[in-house]
Amino acid sequence: MSETTDQPVVETPHGAGKPDMIVLEGVEKIYPGSTQPAVSELDLAIPQGEIVMLIGPSGCGKTTTLKMINRLIEPTSGRILLDGKDVTHVNGDQLRREIGYVIQQGGLFPHFSIADNIGVVPKMLGWDKQRIRERADELLHLVGLEPSTFRDRYPRQLSGGQQQRVGVARALAADPPVMLMDEPFGAIDPITRERLQEEFLDIQRTVGKTIAFVTHDLQEAVKLGDKIAVFATGRLEQYADPDTVLTRPANDFVSDFVGGGAAVRRLSLVELAHLELHPVETDEAGTSGATGQGTAAGSRNGVAVAEVDGSGRPVSWRHLPDRDAAGTPLVTVPISGSVYDAVDVMLDGCASLVAVVDEEGRAQGVLHWNDLVGGLRTRQGHA
Amino acid sequence: MSTATSETVDAQADAAVEAEEKKQGTVARLWSQHYDLVILPAIIVVGLALLFLYISTQQLDSIEQRVLEPANVLGLLRQHLVLAAVSTILVLVIAVPVGIMLSRRWARRLQGPVLAVGGFAQALPPFGVLLLMAFAFSFGPTTAVVGLTLAALLPVLRNTVIGLQQVDQSLIEAARGMGMSARQTLFRVEVPLAVPVIVAGLRVALVLNVGTATLASYIGAGGLGELVQQALRLNRINVLLVAGGIIAAVALLIDWLAGVAERVVVSRSG
Repeated sequence: MSETTDQPVVETPHGAGKPDMIVLEGVEKIYPGSTQPAVSELDLAIPQGEIVMLIGPSGCGKTTTLKMINRLIEPTSGRILLDGKDVTHVNGDQLRREIGYVIQQGGLFPHFSIADNIGVVPKMLGWDKQRIRERADELLHLVGLEPSTFRDRYPRQLSGGQQQRVGVARALAADPPVMLMDEPFGAIDPITRERLQEEFLDIQRTVGKTIAFVTHDLQEAVKLGDKIAVFATGRLEQYADPDTVLTRPANDFVSDFVGGGAAVRRLSLVELAHLELHPVETDEAGTSGATGQGTAAGSRNGVAVAEVDGSGRPVSWRHLPDRDAAGTPLVTVPISGSVYDAVDVMLDGCASLVAVVDEEGRAQGVLHWNDLVGGLRTRQGHA
Repeated sequence: MSTATSETVDAQADAAVEAEEKKQGTVARLWSQHYDLVILPAIIVVGLALLFLYISTQQLDSIEQRVLEPANVLGLLRQHLVLAAVSTILVLVIAVPVGIMLSRRWARRLQGPVLAVGGFAQALPPFGVLLLMAFAFSFGPTTAVVGLTLAALLPVLRNTVIGLQQVDQSLIEAARGMGMSARQTLFRVEVPLAVPVIVAGLRVALVLNVGTATLASYIGAGGLGELVQQALRLNRINVLLVAGGIIAAVALLIDWLAGVAERVVVSRSG
């Protein structure tokens, strides 16, 4: 599976219509006093509106690469283009005001109120006070913090997750087309991190920024990235969408880095909404007696029948085509989840099949354990 | 983002509780946080009262009366405070900018030597320095101010350097990453965050100067030391008691005031 090549595999963007927002051309960084380049001969193009995850072991050059995009670190050679403009030699301070920047734990200024923290860049860009205040309120709303409660607070009065939300709001303040994120969720507990990731994707759906995101967490890279760039000691080893990185690692380094469990990890990429599920029929509890059950089982041979309560939520199996319905527990998974979630629910409930339900809790279909092994069928019209 | 909404509701409840508490007792809260600040002034007041009580029971002769006249004592007190204040302001004006400069990347190499010189200046006994400087230059308040300033430079210099060093690097990076220039980063982020530490150094310098200013009288610069000298020359134990009492009270009071100022600064800078 892993074809070992010396050349990094750079695949052409599948969304061919989207122009590249960030382009690095032959970028190299050699730190003073070092002969080994931290980043060498790097070519990387990030299409507009996509999230690219830069990942790799410590010291692989992913953070150096990120910081060269906004020239916090000056490249030794090569060119950096932003929206087609060469920014390798423009004023760095001016450039950085046009690029959102989020760091670990938010990096909020403890002596500024939340509103002032969000207003840092707009203030430098010379916005008037009224506009800055309105923008801060708008962004607090966007990241799920009530403006009237939070705008006058100080960072120390906020939890880590709230601080990180403000950090994202601050980076969005001047509505920059490009955002750079340096392990923003790295120091946050796993539960909050997961929630912030969901929210981050929600926000990205609204704002559609071009984002370069440094992480060391493969799970995070797979979950958030439209593309993943895998780095090893200053070189780009593979640049492709998460599915490809997991299933077809470009070389031994990437396959080692991705490690075991790639197949399981891939399950979280497959959304239930995109799958062809087995049909399910429902019977309301109490409407059919012993004879009714018999006819249902007889007439609907081959289709699973679930007994539902008054509001249409399935409570138990009445008939299953290939097994004893009474001995099989009924477990459900929301259709907004992934196959990973479905597997989790099945293992947890000791069930070999799971009912997929919509937001109201009504059964939409059934996923069998055997489907996982036999190959998942994707619904027509979905890639 | 349903989770975020529930958190928002919690936060609103928090805010309501906070507002309620604020209404009930700003005074009570201040008291519970800062009641220790009352102890020192109380001791000073009681001490001074006892001193005056004792003096009022004594039969003062004409010499004692003349020396302890309010005009004489207050004049010396004023001289004393001016000496301490001027030298502390000089320390502030010199040590803080030098400290800021030393913390810049290009001057890091100078940091060690300059701090060593500061340590050297502090280690010299102020009395000796004052006398030598007086013989080398001139007797009087100007020389006294220079001597006091030199002796108190180090705490402020060192605290400025340390205060700037301990500013979280990630905040500086965040500031630069958002497009603040090096100068904006210094004045909007680094210095404000170093202020509590710098102020602590200034407090040390001020208290040092108030104490050392007592020695200024030996080179003709006046101050409360003069009262001590008069008492010794005239061999009047009552005057000596009053002089000692006032010097101690002034030093404690200044330290207390500086302490209050420090708390105000710290509470403001988050």
